[in-house]
Formats: sequence, C-alpha cells, structure tokens
Amino acid sequence: MMDTKDTPDPLAPGFVLLKQELAGHDTPRCVEKELMQAFQRQFPRRRPWYGFLTLPQWGAAGALCSLTVVAVLLALSPHQSIEVSGQPLAGIDGGAAFIALDSLERIEAEPDARLVEADVPRTALAALGVPLSPDNAADTVRAEMLVGADGQPLAVRLSFLQ
Amino acid sequence: MTTMTTTDPLDTDLLRQVHAGRADAFTALYRRHQGPLYRYALMRCGSSDTAADVVQEAFMGLLTGRLRFDPLRGQLQHFLFGVARKLILKVEESRGRHVALPDAGEDDGVKLELPCEDAEPLGRLLGNEAAEEVRRALALLAPHYRDVLILFELHELSYLEIAAVCQVDIGTVRSRLSRGRAALAKRLQGHAPAARPACLAN
Repeated sequence: MMDTKDTPDPLAPGFVLLKQELAGHDTPRCVEKELMQAFQRQFPRRRPWYGFLTLPQWGAAGALCSLTVVAVLLALSPHQSIEVSGQPLAGIDGGAAFIALDSLERIEAEPDARLVEADVPRTALAALGVPLSPDNAADTVRAEMLVGADGQPLAVRLSFLQ
Repeated sequence: MTTMTTTDPLDTDLLRQVHAGRADAFTALYRRHQGPLYRYALMRCGSSDTAADVVQEAFMGLLTGRLRFDPLRGQLQHFLFGVARKLILKVEESRGRHVALPDAGEDDGVKLELPCEDAEPLGRLLGNEAAEEVRRALALLAPHYRDVLILFELHELSYLEIAAVCQVDIGTVRSRLSRGRAALAKRLQGHAPAARPACLAN
C-alpha cells in the first residue's frame, strides 16, 4: 500500500466520498438477465424423461393405459357363469314335443297338477330347442303346460309342430 | 455491495460448477463480482452503458471459456479488472480516442500535462457534487494514471495487484500513482476553485 499514509492526504476525503457515492452503483439488471439467457444457450437444460411428451399427450397416454388395465382386469376376473341346473328333458314325437321343465320325479310326485293351454309364437320357443325357420317363424304352436299346485310350471307339451 | 463470508464457496469452485452447467453458481459468481467490476469500468470509461457492456463481455468470456482464469496467478476479481481494462482500451481504440500508454521508462520523463485535457466533459453520473467533481477530475486524467488511481484508491488493490492487472512492473505502478495523484490534485485545485468540495479544502 501507499507509503505516505501517515501524512495527511488531501485527496483522501474526496476518494472516500467518491467511494461512498459509487457504492450504490451496480450493473443494470438487464445484464444479468442477458447473461443468464446466454448461460441457458451455452448449457441447454436436458429435458427430464417426462418432458418428452406434452401435457395433452401424457393425458392421452394415461387414458390409454387406464383402458388397457381395465380391459386386462375384466379379462382376468372370474366370470360368474350362469349355469342351467339341468338340460330340460325334451322329446319330439310325430309333430308333438314334450319338454320337462322339472325333474320327472317331481312331476310324478305332484298331487294336484293341472293343464293350461295356450297358443305360443314359435319364435318364443326357439330357446327351448323348437325348430325355427323363416317359413314357420310366424306360426304359433299349441302349448299345453303342466302346472303344479303352487303354480310352478312342470312341463310343456307342444303340438302341431311341423 | 456484495460481501463474501467464510462460508461462501470459492471463486474457483463456483467457476468449476459454472463449467459443469450450474446456473446458480454462475449467478452467485456474477453477483459477487459485478459490482466492483462495474464501478471500475464506470470510473475508467465514464459511461454507464459502456461499463455495463464491459461487465457483460467479461462474464460472457468466463462463461464461454474464451477467457481462461488461472487461480495460481491471482484472484478472479483482479483477473476481471484486467479483462475490463483491456475491453475499455479496445473501445477507446475503436473510438479513435486511444492514448498510447507510455513505457515504464517514459513515466519518469512524462510531464504532468493531461492527455485527456480536451476531452469532452462527461455527463453527470453521481448525485453528490463533491464526489462528482472528483470523478470528473479523475476522468480527465490520462488512462494509465486513471487505472492505477481507481484500483488503488477505490478498490484498495496493492501495488503488486495493480501491476498484475495493468501488466506493468511495480515501479511503474508506484510512479503512475504518484504522478496521477499530483495531476488529480492539480486539476481539483485549478479546475473550479469556487466549486471545490469542502472536503478537499484543507
């Protein structure tokens, strides 16, 4: 440092003032901003793995994944199968059919069975195995239903089957 | 003004982090050094715009690696002063106002005449009248006197540090400082005696 500091320096007060006055002077803020932009250009920030897709793309991908999961879960879930307790006993003989809707033992044991007659569209009987074709789809079939005392249908006999 | 505490990372650590792409390190380094650098440039060239450009250019050099700082050769702050000085010389050269710096030997024979005597008075930069008068007197000194006076009086650098910044030997710093101070005192006495700051009237 200066050797002559021990002697009064006529310039010292002026420099002190100047120093104090300069203390508030800093580089304008825009310089830092421009430098930071230059920094970003120099070191471009690597996009994280999740940055490769935009937000809507992520939404679509999420929806697709959700649908896939739901589909897989549905495919893997145990189905509650509907099982018919037993194949109804059915017999077709000369244009008439007898279909047992309950076991033969139950039908034989029924003390007070009654017979109910009705004309039933052939299409309604297709599920019971009655043959159905476009020619006879409009026909009706005479059905005689054996009903138990409690109103439970026990058997059906179909006549006029072609 | 930014002050450094013992817990602050070293400039060299910050620089290493800057070159590894750490934006926060660059911000810290910039905020630590921009103030003194800007004030040096402002005093040296007298223009806030040029001073801001010089600071930006110096930090751009650090950022891009165009400027290589060697910590074994001194502090980053002094390195930046040296960079700023060269940038200002370049600006002055491009404006055709460059004044050739005398060699160390020439200093002994140089008269106290002020090479920037006919330079236009610079616009007002400081609010305080007395400080502004010192600044104007300083601005009218030859650049090689201005350099050492600013670095010694305002930034408190040692002769050795000033010699490194200005790339001259220590004897030249000593003589320039002595002559610069004499020239400054003469200018402050003769420039406007009526308006002399009270602080200088002893």
